Amino acid sequence: MAMPALTARRSVARSVQNLAFWGLCALALAIIMVPSIWIIVGLIKSSLPLLNINLITQTTTNYGLQNAILGTLLLSFGVLVVAGPIGIGAGIFLAEFAPPRTSSIVRFFSEVLAGVPSIVIGYTGYVLLAVRLHWGFSLLSAILALTALVTPYIAKTTEVSLRQVPTALHEGAVALGLTMTTTLRKVLLPPALPGMVTGLVVAVAISTGETAPLLYTANFNTADPTLQLTNHPVGYLTYVIYEYIQLPGDKAHALANAAAAVTLIFLIILIAVGRFFAYQSAKRTNRMNI
Amino acid sequence: MNIVARRPWAAIVVAAVAAIAMVTACGSQPSAKKPTPKPSPTINDQVGNPASSVTLSEAGSSLVEPYLAALAPQLTSAYSNITLTPSAGGSGVGISDAATNLIDLGGSDAYLSDSEMTQYPGLMNIPIAISAQEIAYNLPGVSDLKLSGNILAEIYQGKITKWNDPAIAKLNSGVNLPSATIVPIRRVDSSGDTFIFSSFLSATNSAWNNGPAFGTTVTWPAVTGELTATGNPGMVQAAHATPDSIAYIGISVKSSIQSAGLGIAELQNKAGKFVSASQATITSAVTNSAQDIPSNLAQSLIYEPGAQSYPIVNYEYMMVQKQQKDANTALAIRTFLTWAVDSSGGANATNLASVNFIALPSNVLLKIKPAIGSITSGS
Amino acid sequence: MTLRWVSLVAALLPILLLCVIVGTMVASAKAAVIYAGLHLFTGAIFTFGNLYGGSPSVHNGVTAPHNAQYGAATLLVGTLLTSVIALAIALPVAVGGVLMLTERIPPRLQNGFSVFLELLAGIPSVVYGIWGVLILGPFFALHFFPALANSLGRIPFLTWFRPPVGAGEGLLTAGLVLSVMVIPIIAATTRDLLRSVPVLHKEGALALGMTPFEVVRVVTLPFVRNGILAAALLGWARALGETMAVLLISGNALNQFPQSIYSPVGTIAATIAATLDGALTDGTGMAVSALGALALVLLLVTLLTNWAGRMIVRRSSGAALPVGRGF
Repeated sequence: MAMPALTARRSVARSVQNLAFWGLCALALAIIMVPSIWIIVGLIKSSLPLLNINLITQTTTNYGLQNAILGTLLLSFGVLVVAGPIGIGAGIFLAEFAPPRTSSIVRFFSEVLAGVPSIVIGYTGYVLLAVRLHWGFSLLSAILALTALVTPYIAKTTEVSLRQVPTALHEGAVALGLTMTTTLRKVLLPPALPGMVTGLVVAVAISTGETAPLLYTANFNTADPTLQLTNHPVGYLTYVIYEYIQLPGDKAHALANAAAAVTLIFLIILIAVGRFFAYQSAKRTNRMNI
Repeated sequence: MNIVARRPWAAIVVAAVAAIAMVTACGSQPSAKKPTPKPSPTINDQVGNPASSVTLSEAGSSLVEPYLAALAPQLTSAYSNITLTPSAGGSGVGISDAATNLIDLGGSDAYLSDSEMTQYPGLMNIPIAISAQEIAYNLPGVSDLKLSGNILAEIYQGKITKWNDPAIAKLNSGVNLPSATIVPIRRVDSSGDTFIFSSFLSATNSAWNNGPAFGTTVTWPAVTGELTATGNPGMVQAAHATPDSIAYIGISVKSSIQSAGLGIAELQNKAGKFVSASQATITSAVTNSAQDIPSNLAQSLIYEPGAQSYPIVNYEYMMVQKQQKDANTALAIRTFLTWAVDSSGGANATNLASVNFIALPSNVLLKIKPAIGSITSGS
Repeated sequence: MTLRWVSLVAALLPILLLCVIVGTMVASAKAAVIYAGLHLFTGAIFTFGNLYGGSPSVHNGVTAPHNAQYGAATLLVGTLLTSVIALAIALPVAVGGVLMLTERIPPRLQNGFSVFLELLAGIPSVVYGIWGVLILGPFFALHFFPALANSLGRIPFLTWFRPPVGAGEGLLTAGLVLSVMVIPIIAATTRDLLRSVPVLHKEGALALGMTPFEVVRVVTLPFVRNGILAAALLGWARALGETMAVLLISGNALNQFPQSIYSPVGTIAATIAATLDGALTDGTGMAVSALGALALVLLLVTLLTNWAGRMIVRRSSGAALPVGRGF
């Protein structure tokens, strides 16, 4: 584009245009910030008086959240146990073993899986696991549904953090004649570990916040969860939010708000932990590059 | 050495074929195990406390859920080894989940359809109490409102849209009806309340009967501004939050309808009289019921004759499989059901009154005994 | 050596999962798809039919309950409209906000903003839903929608903005809440993209005497255009498949096209969630199959959008996209 001649009038018009544009951008930035502040402040205001010891000591039958909190923790733990190794394994394969063509195919499928809407995963879980395999509403059905949801994230973060390890380290290990397993364990994993942990944290965060895949796989249970794998529904926090907000009465709404606040507190802790590991990861990579 | 390196597609094709084979294998299975019908049904009348603890999971009708929630602790104190865990979810859930063995007992305001009885031959619907449904409205300042099934059908078809419509005004002379637009609220989940409500509309309005007809889900005609809700409590909440709304709500949550400040309409019965739901008017509907309950226990109590009869009355059903996984569970279910309909057990006056239900009449009690007795472990 | 094989198996598992999901859906949707035929896309009525009476309906050799109709047109329209509204709001807001952030705000403060984005991405969709149904919906129905109806609604031909404005559950509220959920996906990607714009180009343009706005228009935006487009498509895919928030705030209309921007709408995802549990009451199995057909339509639309986004990114080889849900 050729520079226009700088007449005084055009210059004024251009600075007005400039100001208007950045004004709009500032407005947009404010619009991004408002909802999160609105939601969090609103939730804290309406649920702070409700955060009491009853939430932990009582089940939803008595307007507590014990069964839901334990259920959410159990589901997240199950996801770590099942999806963790699969995702990390897939990530290691993609970063270290797979030839470019294979890795691009595997990555394509993994990305497609990540794009499947959560309600579609919920539908499949219900039709296939709960009904056809006769597992019923259960821990196992729910964990498998969540696994389908989060494995791609774990695989992706593992792959990315392994790839960020400087090539020099990798080549040095090969030059020393180390086996691939030893190279991974001693050379590649330590610097990549924080990044991989971030991926696991994100997976737990997603499992904590999801509802749609759990509605028809975990269903809900007013009693505390057990380790029974099949035919035993599991309660969780997001269901309490969804269900109790639709019940009449201040008490039910209060419980839904409290459940939302507890879920958000979980997520804020997870985000903090995730950022800590991301920071560690960045620090290690930087140090090694020097 | 490395199959993956040389044949990237081979591994993926193998995986895909394995997956599809697995799914098709599952797909070709019948979706419910059909037990082979026995020539002579085994009857087991034995009830009592099971030898080891049994948890009976229940889900379904949000109309029966408050009743079962009240019964659960009493059941455990009568039979220490039986625990009942009731939860809501809608009658559709009750039927589906009992049919597919996801739960032990399914609560439903609707009986099984013929196709369901054919599809799930082992599934029974056993009445445990009699319930009713009320029409709630959110019109501040209007404390008395008379409605007919015909008018409700026109409202839910979008033919009557204003509260001061001549048809409504004609039934309510002296009532100051606002000119506001009516907001009909309907259930979004598969619901026994939808079933009995749409049965009432079908019985009173031929256009409805020839159109949406009745079922746990129906083809709702498009009505501008219509709202939806989940479960009876959700209906109360939605009606409470929406001025000028109207909603059909199970009688078991009557106290929350009242505390939400909603009005309850009087409904025109088959004899042309306007009645509200009470023990007397519900009982009248049952005693005036034209037919004796059939042996498959599926019977409608909608729009029965009698000057006193309330028009929207129904059996509360428990959906249960004849064949149970073990003798202990079968015993626990027989015990629960026998206890639940016993006037000195679960069906005592206090329990029933707390949710405005009434007890089953003696002729029905006689009919359900053999059904309860047919619940066995099948071995 | 063993590690290679173990990791290979792990890498194949996601593929297996995807095949199982697609296989299950195709297997269960087949009957309803054949029954409905093209009606699946053009029919405005979605009903499981009368399960309690009437003779079974037969189409294309498949038997379903009396008067069963599996037309997804209104749901498809609802799904597309809510997500397009969400995108139309989210795209300019996210890009404008992030431009402000990266170009005009000192880097020290930018990290704080990243926390906001992570929070927005991390808030569960059901929490967005109750926020929409309890706070945003009623607030807008009372203060914002009437103003909208009185201004835009008065312009001839803009009948879509005319009253009644309803109680705050409907198309516009759903679109607004969805836009808040889509913003972090677009914003996070745009932020990374903008940081990759070469400083020299920008400084060169400034030295030519351009205003900062002109630098953005002439240098920055063209550089990141494809990446932003891809991020927008990803955000769109997310809005298409969103369930819980929409279930709570859309009004869940069935069998009707929206009459105005305030009308209740139904979406595919919310309808599946709301009616799946009751679908098994259809003894013929057709109702579950019909919801499977809906899920399949949703899956196809979502995957197409997602795939288009990723293709654009590959071509422009910009920064990596976040995977699906905005983290």
